[in-house]
Amino acid sequence: MAVTKKISLLILAIVIVLFAVSWIAKTGTFEDTGMPLGLSVRDGFLVTFAAFLTLSIFSFLYKDNPYYKFAEHLFVGVSAAYWMCVGFWSTFVGNFIPKVSEGLSNFFEVPYKGFDVFYFIPLILGIMLLLRMSSKIGWISRWSLAFIVGTTAGLNLIRYMRSDFISQVSNTFVPLVVDWQGFGAFFSDLSLNASGQLIMTMSNWVIFIGVFCGIIYFFFSKEHSGFFGGASKVGIWVLMVTFGASFGYTVMGRVSLLVGRLTFLFHDWLGLIN
Amino acid sequence: MMHKLLIVMCLLFIAGAGYVSAEEIPDSLKPALPSDITIYPDSGGNVAVIYWFPSADDGAGKNIVTGYALYRSPSPKGSFEVIDTVPPGPNRYIDFLPIDTTVVDSGAPFSPAPVTEVTLADKDNDHGHAVIVKWKTSADDIAGSPSNRVLAYNVFRAESQSGPYLMRGQSASGDTQYDDVGSKEREARDYMPDYTDYYYIIRTKTIEYHPGHKDYFYIVRSITDNPDNYRETSPLQFDGTIYTDSQVYGPVQCFGQWFNSGLIPVLIFVICFTAITVFMIFRARRGAELFVRRLAGIEAVDEAIGRATEMGKPILYVLGLGTAAEIATIASFTILGRVAKKVAEYQTGLIVPCYDPIVMTVAQETVKASYMDAGRPDSYDENMVYFVTQSQFAYVAAVNGVMLRELPATNIYMGKFFAESLILAETGALAGSIQIAGTDEIAQIPFFVVACDYTLIGEELYAASAYLGREPVLLGSLKAQDYAKAAVMIIAIVGFITINLNWDWFVNLFRVAN
Amino acid sequence: MSNLGLIISLLIIGAGLLWLLIRSLQGKEVERRIIFLFIGLAVSVPLLFNITFSEKATPIVKALYDKIDNLPEGSNILLSFDYGPTMAPEVQPMSDVLIRHVLAKNHHLFLMGLWATGQSLGAEAVDRIIKGDFPEKIDGIDFVNIGYKAGNQGVLNVIVTDFRKLYATDVGGRDLDSLPIFNGIKSLKDMDLLISVGGGFPGVKEWVQFAGDPGNVPTGGGSAAVSAPLLYPYYPRQMLGLMGGIKGAAEYESEFKRHYERFKDMPEPGVKMMGPQTLAHLVIMAFIVIGNLSYFFGKKGKQS
Repeated sequence: MAVTKKISLLILAIVIVLFAVSWIAKTGTFEDTGMPLGLSVRDGFLVTFAAFLTLSIFSFLYKDNPYYKFAEHLFVGVSAAYWMCVGFWSTFVGNFIPKVSEGLSNFFEVPYKGFDVFYFIPLILGIMLLLRMSSKIGWISRWSLAFIVGTTAGLNLIRYMRSDFISQVSNTFVPLVVDWQGFGAFFSDLSLNASGQLIMTMSNWVIFIGVFCGIIYFFFSKEHSGFFGGASKVGIWVLMVTFGASFGYTVMGRVSLLVGRLTFLFHDWLGLIN
Repeated sequence: MMHKLLIVMCLLFIAGAGYVSAEEIPDSLKPALPSDITIYPDSGGNVAVIYWFPSADDGAGKNIVTGYALYRSPSPKGSFEVIDTVPPGPNRYIDFLPIDTTVVDSGAPFSPAPVTEVTLADKDNDHGHAVIVKWKTSADDIAGSPSNRVLAYNVFRAESQSGPYLMRGQSASGDTQYDDVGSKEREARDYMPDYTDYYYIIRTKTIEYHPGHKDYFYIVRSITDNPDNYRETSPLQFDGTIYTDSQVYGPVQCFGQWFNSGLIPVLIFVICFTAITVFMIFRARRGAELFVRRLAGIEAVDEAIGRATEMGKPILYVLGLGTAAEIATIASFTILGRVAKKVAEYQTGLIVPCYDPIVMTVAQETVKASYMDAGRPDSYDENMVYFVTQSQFAYVAAVNGVMLRELPATNIYMGKFFAESLILAETGALAGSIQIAGTDEIAQIPFFVVACDYTLIGEELYAASAYLGREPVLLGSLKAQDYAKAAVMIIAIVGFITINLNWDWFVNLFRVAN
Repeated sequence: MSNLGLIISLLIIGAGLLWLLIRSLQGKEVERRIIFLFIGLAVSVPLLFNITFSEKATPIVKALYDKIDNLPEGSNILLSFDYGPTMAPEVQPMSDVLIRHVLAKNHHLFLMGLWATGQSLGAEAVDRIIKGDFPEKIDGIDFVNIGYKAGNQGVLNVIVTDFRKLYATDVGGRDLDSLPIFNGIKSLKDMDLLISVGGGFPGVKEWVQFAGDPGNVPTGGGSAAVSAPLLYPYYPRQMLGLMGGIKGAAEYESEFKRHYERFKDMPEPGVKMMGPQTLAHLVIMAFIVIGNLSYFFGKKGKQS
């Protein structure tokens, strides 16, 4: 136990020394660009601190540790506070104040838009929502929640029906052949280009068969045997290909984020690349 | 190019000038600009009509605007001379342009044919406050041709036949329609009351000038008592090209409709789907036998429980990170109930680490009830279901620890999962457990598919829950969804056939208007 | 010199993979930290040695590019920043090149955000790109940032009929009615193109559902790779084009640079990221091959 504690203290000491060295070095670099000393010290600290946090998060790849926990909790706390501040300024000050009070509008320097009594309804619902924090009268917040759930459900039902149901169903109405001008024209211009006739025609087939078999896979009222069984097998293949593509995209996305952090470390912090 | 450069430089200059003066008077103290400034020609181009809505600080806001000063210059970067100062309030200013009389008028100027066959109608399926103006293009408008001399159509509207006519908007040459949409807010600038007579003029604009006429540029300035405290617009162009007005058309009135017929397809689908759902739920409540096929995933769960019994090792059940209100978690409770019942029957161990305290309470009740059902209330141990932590990765670390220490025969993951899905499933695979997962988080399914022996994909999770629980609401909804899916399949096939036979009527049934 | 370094690094990675193959065929466990190390190397090497590849726009990206390019000058284009700093490395290159393209074509640019973090990212883009590359563009005349409003898709539901019901001012506190760019702009329906750049909720999908479809306005987007596959069903009828992940951004950047001589020296973070992407993907593919080989032919695989 004592050995672990000693190692932890040693690591902490190394981290502090490296942090100080980086801060001083970065301050020097900023000063060389003609920045005043005060700003250089500030920016030097900010870049060093950002690099420290990045490396702290990376350290999780080795093992969970206090540095990772510190960075993670800092991130969670800062984001929560940021969202709260933006919410206050954009919703409360931006939307509510200009509709209820001229004095407050002038205080917050937003243009007054004239009194509107209806704006007190969301205010009351908002206050009711905050009552959740009380264990005695917390039930009142359910009225606001019911309002949110009800309106969102109603709003979404129509939009989903339209965009994700009707429009998507009609998107499967696709021609069997795209721009058919006879076999001669088809074979003379046979290209594997993504906007070529062959590929477009094939993708139409894939769309139709994929949607059809995919739905059959998720059809629970009939046993998967015979034609249904075959079609649902095709459906599961389509799903697996989709998951594969989605997995590949995820890998690409994660690598991009890693590249972003490494670019910060190599460029902004260490100055290895330009 | 040169012309554009000049405008750009001028804008820069003004921006620069604005910046300099901003140092003296803070921006927040300056008056707001008037809005919706439009400048259009009248009297054959001899007159420029400048129209604006008052500044936000005119009679309201900071209430410091004492009037508006108008400046004019033949070039955007030339020296702007003040032409007049007008009092505050909504305003229209008529500027008689200086005509260059030295230019010799060489014969009658070109005059485009006016638009004809203008029809005015209220816009359908809206809340009112909009009129659709349609016309037949000018005989001189040869849209698409490089020699076309007609540039655009301006639409003017007035509330009485004699005017004043205000410009509402512009349509390009070749266009035959303009939707004049106003605001329904009484205090808005472009408030367009319903049930009011409107008259329209459509102006055919060309690209040519009268001899001696040219373009001018105007600057409008909001002024205050303090001559240094003002705000001005960038140069606004007055377009002095030749035009011909149509005759006056109207009157027309706009009004709102109670029912948007464009959304009928949506209404039909909503009614049908709701009706089937309610009907199926009623049937399920009355105890009708609603067939749901056996899911391979459920069989896998049964097999896995059997295997755990044989091996004498416990079963780990993870409910995910969702709250107790989420559908995936609710579905997971049903499956947990079934698993717990089997576990109680076979006297196998069960471990349920929870992320959410409320989920834990519900899970405890579920497991307890299952042990009762199985007739083994004595075997129930409250410590089977326990709360871990509400920190995502700490929870994962704890569950991973359980997997590696207890080496459960089977790991079941059902519910909402996020970034932890792969970490959990990977550790379980390393520990050699049989793994069954189910989630409706599409982004996480691929991870479960690669690392688990069996995965319930999306809706299968709900289906499994309905199959096991026979809960009327779940079962009825599931059946209703199946009917909807059958309908989709039939519609897709019919649509596929009709579009290939070029029968557009069927496809048009699915067109949702706005 | 740098070529030599590159070759040595690639040789190290190759030799390491070979070592991994042999080890795993022998049935030995490969610790996951070693895999992290390989990915770290595969990403760092192309960054340090600046390896880039040329990109060609695929139809789905080209569709978005062509739309912006073919709109008449002075069209109104709205760009929504629906992301936060955590997603920025992946999607910021998209918003950057879109801003450049829109302003280079002399369109009117409206910036907003459905994510709270989008507001400051939008302001940062104004400082970095517009002030840097387009000093002649004036805030309030050529572009405007109206910022963020809470309400997710509810915001879209309102501004699809009226901006001013939710937005009284731009981020600078100026009344929308005092801004020339807002002359004649009432709602999203007055836009000629809506573009959402993001990757979570709310994002491109919500723009299609709550703005594009009901308002009948062409809608396009840029999306983080993770959610890109879920958006393909909307292409091309409900969503005219999409940049999916950094690859989409790189394609757009190349297409833009090919046509705009003036921007041939602009930074191209998307294209730069494709070097590390390519090598990282090759390494991951090698892992998949190694994993399968050891499963089918290795000692451990045969045992089970």
